[in-house]
Amino acid sequence: MRIEDDEETKSRDGAREPRIAKPSSILNPQSSILLVALLLSIALALATGATKLSLTALWQGDEIAKAIFFSLRLPRVLLGALVGATLATAGITFQTLLRNPLADPFILGVSGGAAAGAAVSTALGWARVPGLVPLVAFVGACGATGVVFLLARRREHTDPTRLLLSGLVLNAFFSAVILFSFALSRQSDLTAALRWMMGTLFGATWTNVALLAILLAVALAVLSWIANDLRMLVFGEEDARSRGVDVERIKLIGFLTGSVVTGAAVAVSGIIGFVGLLVPHLIRLIWRRDFRHLLPLSAIGGAILVVLADLLSRSLVAFSELPIGAFTALLGVPFFLSLLRRER
Amino acid sequence: MLELDGVGYGYEGAPHALRDVSLRIDAKQLVALAGPNGSGKSTLLKLAARVLMPHAGIVRFDGRALKEWNGKEYARRVGYLPQDPDPTFPMKAIDVVVSGRAPFLGRFTWESDADFEAAEEALALCDASPLAERYLDEMSGGERKRVFLARVLAAKPQLILLDEPLAALDVSHVQQFSALLRDVVDRTGATVVFAAHDLNWAAAYSDRMLVMQRGALALHAPPSEVLRTEVVRALFGFEGMTVETNGRKWIVPKT
Repeated sequence: MRIEDDEETKSRDGAREPRIAKPSSILNPQSSILLVALLLSIALALATGATKLSLTALWQGDEIAKAIFFSLRLPRVLLGALVGATLATAGITFQTLLRNPLADPFILGVSGGAAAGAAVSTALGWARVPGLVPLVAFVGACGATGVVFLLARRREHTDPTRLLLSGLVLNAFFSAVILFSFALSRQSDLTAALRWMMGTLFGATWTNVALLAILLAVALAVLSWIANDLRMLVFGEEDARSRGVDVERIKLIGFLTGSVVTGAAVAVSGIIGFVGLLVPHLIRLIWRRDFRHLLPLSAIGGAILVVLADLLSRSLVAFSELPIGAFTALLGVPFFLSLLRRER
Repeated sequence: MLELDGVGYGYEGAPHALRDVSLRIDAKQLVALAGPNGSGKSTLLKLAARVLMPHAGIVRFDGRALKEWNGKEYARRVGYLPQDPDPTFPMKAIDVVVSGRAPFLGRFTWESDADFEAAEEALALCDASPLAERYLDEMSGGERKRVFLARVLAAKPQLILLDEPLAALDVSHVQQFSALLRDVVDRTGATVVFAAHDLNWAAAYSDRMLVMQRGALALHAPPSEVLRTEVVRALFGFEGMTVETNGRKWIVPKT
């Protein structure tokens, strides 16, 4: 009977040869669709703005049109794409490492550390020195991650539950620091700080774009380098270890990479929520594959979401910019819920 | 092929989870690892799988101490299935099985056609080919067990270590799965060591039995020598009697 079974399987194999989607390159159908969507979103975002830009004016070298396009709109849209890609990259990495679908880039105290750094430097009046607040925020983010890691480490082992709890507690502590700092800040400094806390791409510079692009490229390279090992962690640490994975090393590299790029993203754009949590889930609901597939797809998905959210935040009302974080949620949540319903 | 020499291991709160265990397991055998809960079965398997490193003594595979083995090299020869494997996120059976080929992959590489062929072969061996495209979370316990056994088999290991593979299966699946383990040994020539707390099913198809008691190896013998009333009384504190059907011994409660 078993021999018959085998023959049956073989003949079926012949017929269903292409049934296994083998993603042998980055340019598979999924990522191509997403890349086209990203390019369309970027084009739409570049074409829309408070000042109407005509393509012909730009082509003919109109100085004002050039200035608006190259020093305001283009860096802002590109920075948005990079921030989104960075947050989604960190999100999928943390969800895989912690084996927790609720993990997001801010879970290890990164956002709290960055926000506390920004709040304290605002209270000290450093906001008037350009570039200083983002720098302190970045230092705060990296410092917070370091502290969380030290708290969670015991006997040369980093326990995921202790990591989550340490991050949570540290974020609570940072909330207190932020409240105190705000109470002691000058009214005029406070507006900028609040805007930063809500997430904004206002004032994007080419320097920021270049810095974040380099960091993201390095992070993606590092994560791809460990991807074959990292994806095995979803089966549990003991299982991964039995497959020859150096679990502690992979965790350390993964967490540090994710935290540093998150810190950089937060430093240049403030706290943009939901991207790191929602995008990996959205991607996973559509293409249920492992970390190696989800990493590039999430990065592109995150870029699309933030570019579109920023477009809405700056173009819906004429007199002010609305917080991007609100729009990432407004765009992501209905899409997410409809997918979730279809699942059931 | 697997040798333990005076091996000891302890956890926080259980310093003597394993005490001075010495044993040798030969090739092409189905070995059942029996013993009461907390007797050290899982710890023994984890030490053999290189998941844990012994605090005392030496574990050797093919004559080489485990700490001298490269992790990936070892994983190509020895497969391990933990008690409750769960990939956290939804995954297709074929993706789960092909992930068993991970020790053969280098950096930046994807599974080749040969890896997928090995995965399909392993699924077929476990009578699980029709499950390939289904998601784990839509499967019954017995189906999941088959998929995870196939995942271990996909690497074509010489030694397979299974922690409680019969747990949480109903009696007909226990029978099927035990027979499947026998089949794997006979058809692939691998050695299978599996932990089981049901003495009868541990004995049913195996060549040798290891019986653990409070962290020590109490008995290493053929099943027929373990399934004796006085042995079972001494090791498990169970008053039973043996019955024989079709040349196979079973131990049942004394009426």
